[in-house]
This record gives sequence, structure tokens and C-alpha cells, in this order.
Amino acid sequence: MKEKISALMDDDLALEDAEYLMTAIKANGESAKSWATYHLIGDVIRGDKVLSHDLTAKIMQEVAKQPTALAPKPSLVKNKQVVWSVAASVAAVFFVGLVVLHQQSQEAGVSPIEIAQAVPAEYLRAHQSMSPSNAAYFIQPAAFSQDK
Amino acid sequence: MLKKQIFIGFVIGLLSLFSGTLFALQEDVWLMLQKASQAARELSYKGVFVYQSGNASKSVQLTHMNYGQGEYARMVVLDGAPREVFSQGSDVVIFSPKNEKIMIEKKRGQNMFPALLPSNMDALKASYQAQNNGTERIGGRDAFVVSLTPKDQMRYGYKFWVDKEFGLLLKTMTLGERGDALEQIGFSQLTLMDGQNMDWFKPKFDPSKSYVMDQEGPAKASSSDMDWDVTQLPSGYRKVDQVKQSVQGKGLPVTQMIFSDGLASISVFVEPLGKGVIPKIGHTVVGATNFFALVNEGHQVMVIGEVPEAAVTQFANAVSFKNKK
Repeated sequence: MKEKISALMDDDLALEDAEYLMTAIKANGESAKSWATYHLIGDVIRGDKVLSHDLTAKIMQEVAKQPTALAPKPSLVKNKQVVWSVAASVAAVFFVGLVVLHQQSQEAGVSPIEIAQAVPAEYLRAHQSMSPSNAAYFIQPAAFSQDK
Repeated sequence: MLKKQIFIGFVIGLLSLFSGTLFALQEDVWLMLQKASQAARELSYKGVFVYQSGNASKSVQLTHMNYGQGEYARMVVLDGAPREVFSQGSDVVIFSPKNEKIMIEKKRGQNMFPALLPSNMDALKASYQAQNNGTERIGGRDAFVVSLTPKDQMRYGYKFWVDKEFGLLLKTMTLGERGDALEQIGFSQLTLMDGQNMDWFKPKFDPSKSYVMDQEGPAKASSSDMDWDVTQLPSGYRKVDQVKQSVQGKGLPVTQMIFSDGLASISVFVEPLGKGVIPKIGHTVVGATNFFALVNEGHQVMVIGEVPEAAVTQFANAVSFKNKK
């Protein structure tokens, strides 16, 4: 039996002809141990850095030592992005609408007045007061002539 | 035959006389105005002048003294609301009674009649054509008549009457585009003063009334305060001042630039349009003063000046905002 396993590993025995051997190895009995031992011997002979014939336990031990990463579930993150982008577009539409509405209400509610209807006396007074030569400011100031 | 010769001789003589005055050297005319500007500041005189604009007319009593230690002047408005204006050097104080109080307003000096002309004629030479138009009698005194014709549509024309003897400005008139008188100021009575008596330099108001100092005027604005400018100024105009102030009944500060060509002056006001503030637009004219208002980039632009409509319109349209560049 052990010779047959060795022959299978060295490709001296065709896989098609060793079906019963594979079943025995999978059954994890004496044959499986021999399979693992022969592989270890082969690795050592070829100089591969394998120091244990059974890595599974060690790897699982190392995995258990790693800190637990508290990452949210990927599916949940995707959902939130969708929610946010929807919220942003709704807000943008709302904001634009508000601006437009505001402008419309301003245009509709506050129509400009023609200064021909109401002479801006406060500006006139400021102009008269500041211009380098103006006779009217002292004699006929705008505010005074208005409320005469 | 002899009659005809006499007539032709008379016509030729008249023509030469006419052309003689017509072609009086431009420089001489400018010199005459230059002297008028000096005389108004250096002489001591008193008199009454009348200010007329449209239908409004007011008489003002003026006393001006300069005996080498600077100028002192007192103006008393004789018609309507009593007001007194005192100037000493470049400081001006205005007393105006309001109800039971007397308002006192302090301000920077201006070129006041008869010292309306600038001391330097060079700026005016660029924008106006000067001409001597003979002589006339004003307020009992003989005067040379000088016309300033604008070289473009950006300013009015002016007419000045200059005292033959003292060189003092006796009368000035602002002429519209069709040659009509828009505003005029002229002495109805004038005498020179002697002596150094300063008793006249005090206000004649009831001393029992309380005095109220008017609030601070506009503050000087630095260029960084102005987020706008007037690009492409009409020729002859230059910026003389820029201020920041709160105009009566305005929440937001108003920035103002003042431009002058030496005689005509224009103010440009710019302020952000606050919420619910009714914007002003359009054009109007009162006497010689033209107004033009428009809204530009959320700002109220208001231009006021004793200039033709074309000038205020051009200034209003030349306002540009710096952040737009």
C-alpha cells in the first residue's frame, strides 16, 4: 500500500488506476499519514522551506491571533451611498427651486421705481455736499428744498 | 456817392472792431478767468448775491475778508429758511435752525461763489473753448463777459462776468445744450472792504437756543473699500474723491466717487441692493442737475451731476465691478 502511494506521487502509477488509493487517502487513516509524510520528505529533499507536515493547525492558530476587523457589511455601505446621493439631488433641486422662487417673488413683489417719479433727494444732498464746487448746497440744499 | 463811401467805410470799421473783439487772444481770456479766481480769494469785499435755479431764487449776504492771514467768509441766506455759513480757510461750518434747536454742520470747504473757478485753468483748457463777448453792467459795476463753450456733449457751457476794475467774478451762468440759462448766481450789490475788523464773523442766532452738532459726515474710502470702478471716463474728467457713507435711511453703506473737470462735477453712488429694497431706475432732471439710475449685478447705481444727460448716462454705464474680471 505505502509503495503504491509513493509510486502515485512519483507519477509511476497512473491516477486512473489508483482510484482506490485516493479513496483510502481521503479516508484520513494510515494512508493519509503516509501521503503527508512522503510529501514532507520530498519537500525536504528538494530544499523547500516546509517545517511541518501539518500546516493547517498552525495557520488556523495564526488566523485566530489576528485582531478582529470591525468593518461594516459591504452591502450596507452601498445602500447608504445611494441614499445620500438621492438626498443630495433632492436638496439641490429644492435649493435651485427656492432661488428661482425667491427671484420670481422679488421680481413680482418689488418692481423698480422710476426716479422721475421721486427725485432721490438723499443722494442729491450727498452729491451737493461732496462736489468740489456747488453753490446750491449752502443756499438751496436738497433736503431743505424737499420739506419746505 | 459820398454817402455810399461813408457807409462802406462805416461797415469796414465795424467789421474790424467786431473781429478785433472776436479774435481777442484765447490766452488773454484764460488769464482773465485766472485773475478772477485769485481775486475772489484774495480780496476783501461784501455784498448781496442772488442764486437762481429753475423757479427757485434766493438772496445771500456775503462778507469775505483776507488780510494776509487766510480767508474768512460769512454767508447769510436772506430768503426762506435762515441759514448761516462760516468758512475759515478750508473749514466750513453751517448753522441752520430747526424747530427749537440750531443744527451745526461741519464740513470740508468747497469752491463757493464768487470763488467758483479753480485756481488752475489747465484742466478747463482741455474741455472748454474760452471767448470774450464784450462788456455788460452787473450790480452797478462794469464787467467783461467771458463764454466757455464745451468741446463735447459731456458738460454744459458757462458764462462769466468779470469786474473790469477788481477782476472779481460778478456773475456766473450755466447754459444748457440749447443755450438756455439753467442756473445763475450774480451780485446785485458789491463793495470792497477796508480794515481788519472781525466783529461780523459770528452767527446772529438766539443764544438761548440749544446747539446740536450734526453727525459725522462721510469717511474717506481706500481703494480696497471700492469693489467697483468707473472705466472709460469721458475726456477731461478725473476722480477727485471717494468716500463711504451711510446715506439717510439706508442700512447698507454707500460708496461714492466724485469726478470733476474743474467746473462740472459728477457723483457716482454704488450700493448693494438689500432684501426688499426697491431699486431705482431711469432718468430725471431738476434744473441743471441730471440723474441716472440703473441696477447692475445686484447693485444700485446712481449718478448725479450738474452735467447734460449724456454724461450721467455714460458714467452709469461705465461702472464695472472688480470681481467680474
